[in-house]
Amino acid sequence: MMKSSFQKIEAFMEPRLAKKPRGFDLFTKELASSMVRAYDEDVKTVYVSGYAFPTELLWAFDVTPFDFEIACNNLPAAASGNGSTLMITSEKRGYSRDICSFDRLIIACMIQGMLPKGDLHITSSYYCHGKAKANEIVANHEGKESILFDVPNEISMSSIEYVTAQLKEIASRLQSITGEELDIDKVREAIRWSNKARNSLQRINELMKSKPFPYNPVKACLLALGGALFWGSPLRDDIHQLIIKELEERIHNGTALPEKYRVLWYPWVPVQQTNIFVTLKEHSVSVPMVEAARVWWSELDESDPFDSLARKALENHHVGRAEKRVKALVNLAEEYDVDGTIHFATPACHGENIAFPLVRDAMKERGLPALNLEGDMTDERNYSSELTVSKLSSFIEILGYS
Amino acid sequence: MEDKKRIGWFCSYVPEELIIASGLEPVRLKGQVKELRKVDSYVFSNICPYLKNILDSGLRNRLEHLDGIIFTNSCDGMRKLYDLWTRYVQTPFTFMLEVPKNRDKYGIRYFSDQLQALQKGLEKTYDVDISPKLQSAISLMNNRRVMFGKIFEGQKEFPPRLKGSELFSLCQEEMSSPKDDETLKLEDLAFKPRPSDSSNADNARILVMGNTLDNPTLFDLVENAKGSVIIFDTCKGLKHYSDLVEAGPDKIESLARRYLLKPPCPRMPGFDLRIERLKELIQNYSIGGIIYSNLKYCDYSLFEIPQIEQFLQENQVPLLVLENDYLLTDVERLKIRVEAFLEIVRGDVL
Repeated sequence: MMKSSFQKIEAFMEPRLAKKPRGFDLFTKELASSMVRAYDEDVKTVYVSGYAFPTELLWAFDVTPFDFEIACNNLPAAASGNGSTLMITSEKRGYSRDICSFDRLIIACMIQGMLPKGDLHITSSYYCHGKAKANEIVANHEGKESILFDVPNEISMSSIEYVTAQLKEIASRLQSITGEELDIDKVREAIRWSNKARNSLQRINELMKSKPFPYNPVKACLLALGGALFWGSPLRDDIHQLIIKELEERIHNGTALPEKYRVLWYPWVPVQQTNIFVTLKEHSVSVPMVEAARVWWSELDESDPFDSLARKALENHHVGRAEKRVKALVNLAEEYDVDGTIHFATPACHGENIAFPLVRDAMKERGLPALNLEGDMTDERNYSSELTVSKLSSFIEILGYS
Repeated sequence: MEDKKRIGWFCSYVPEELIIASGLEPVRLKGQVKELRKVDSYVFSNICPYLKNILDSGLRNRLEHLDGIIFTNSCDGMRKLYDLWTRYVQTPFTFMLEVPKNRDKYGIRYFSDQLQALQKGLEKTYDVDISPKLQSAISLMNNRRVMFGKIFEGQKEFPPRLKGSELFSLCQEEMSSPKDDETLKLEDLAFKPRPSDSSNADNARILVMGNTLDNPTLFDLVENAKGSVIIFDTCKGLKHYSDLVEAGPDKIESLARRYLLKPPCPRMPGFDLRIERLKELIQNYSIGGIIYSNLKYCDYSLFEIPQIEQFLQENQVPLLVLENDYLLTDVERLKIRVEAFLEIVRGDVL
């Protein structure tokens, strides 16, 4: 079922792209294609959390990265508001509804036999610990070893050494499964592509500052999360170049929706269908920036690839003291000249949710209202459209007063 | 007794030895309030009740007897508690100890560096030199582990030497009272054990596992229903006292090895390691049933429980999962469930 879902997406996107190439369409098509490829018996499939791992390393090997979180949670079932139908499979096996819906959906897909065979299962410790447990459960189910890329919550010479050593270990596992020797020039090449795409993303983010806002915030966030798989591949920059072209055209032609207020959105957008963005649109509220789309890391140094990739992981805005992230969010609020901020809270995202008061207080000091909007990434049972409209309407009124 | 400054610590991965060698008094942190009043305006409702109790205690100045607190990156919630604490509560000394999740040579090296950073932090703040006193602190804690090893050994007997509630109180006291407090009488309990209470000989033999448990209510409920908690392997039980710090040229590295390689808690990768240990405990202590005590919203336990459940089902060992709110306020509900469970363990019902 999962493979055929992605085949359908692929088939749908191909003629669209042939007619008019768009960046988001290219991303969607290529993501679906890579998911389909992961089922191929002849490829070496590496499970990974693309948004929480320096995927540049994977592109240096002949492997197919499979972002198990994105794959399971972007299924048409989840995206169309029927994620819980699938999630129930894991709940019946004893996985509590207090576990993140993202992880319940992964385990449900595993139970249903929907996932491709993995040759290596990698995930990381940052953002949240749930995905590490889900990864281990899936790997155990397949009788494979799971690797935890453990990224400490502080950056120092010691933590850089620790993370670098792990990346080298992972490279040696990749050598084992592919039978290829590590070619450091390929890692350097992946780093060059990554840097190129980083520059083009910065250009996109500059264009996003235009008033009125010329793009779609949901697409920007989905690209940041799902597209993270392509850091290190030339494809990521290809996608960016198309988006830049679209944005420049729109800005030049003045193609944008009316904009009364601008808000900063963090940390990510729901996958399930909601009435959030429709409601914002109806009230002429734009979202020029989603936190996930930010470039947080320094340019990678190809002369010291492993150290550089370790630093990329450690510089992540979700690694380290909350004040680092709060500062980054405040900067975004200023750079994008927003009138308020919206925190989308998915229930089991504990680390993220606990930090909310710190962000709220920092925004308050700058006179920016901060809404905590409760919902769920994929479990429609935890989402109320009426309550959401009511909360958003009140917030928009406040934006008017402030 | 000398009046020493007290340092609170949360997690079983914090080496008390470093605090003791600083001339300070380590105190394991417990929630201090029986009712949450302030914390709900800071954190969401579905957050670990232990963390909420600690933060509420801090916000209401109930932890002012502490001069410092050592946090650990043990879970997403605890990591952020540190951020909230340093912003809204504050204590003269705070330290975030990173505990690696990988237990290989790289993890040990990184953890050694972290322990050195903690040592430097304590030395600078309290103007002390830890190194000369570290060996005696290691010996003191090793000695305690040996004594607890003997005490836990006595639990293998029929009936066990101590009631579960007594053992629980002893561990709680050991972790929160001054290390020179002789009222605990650990040596007597370890080396001159009193005769066990034969009236408990036929009680169902229960193992309690799970996460933080600071409330003796569960133990009382089991004992009142003709059960005996033989052993508890929570982060404040047997596991905490397992394994000694080995002698070595680098004491910090020896500490890192002991703490990182001791029986893992659910935060660490490796469901298989935890299940293997459970299997050994069931055999060695002749356990008839398992109670998994789980604080609400603890992800690590929520992922672990189905794995434990599957293993126990395959081995026909009864399991009771008891979710709790840290204060165990729903005692009547727990009582009914414990009584019913013990009937199953004893074979009173089919």
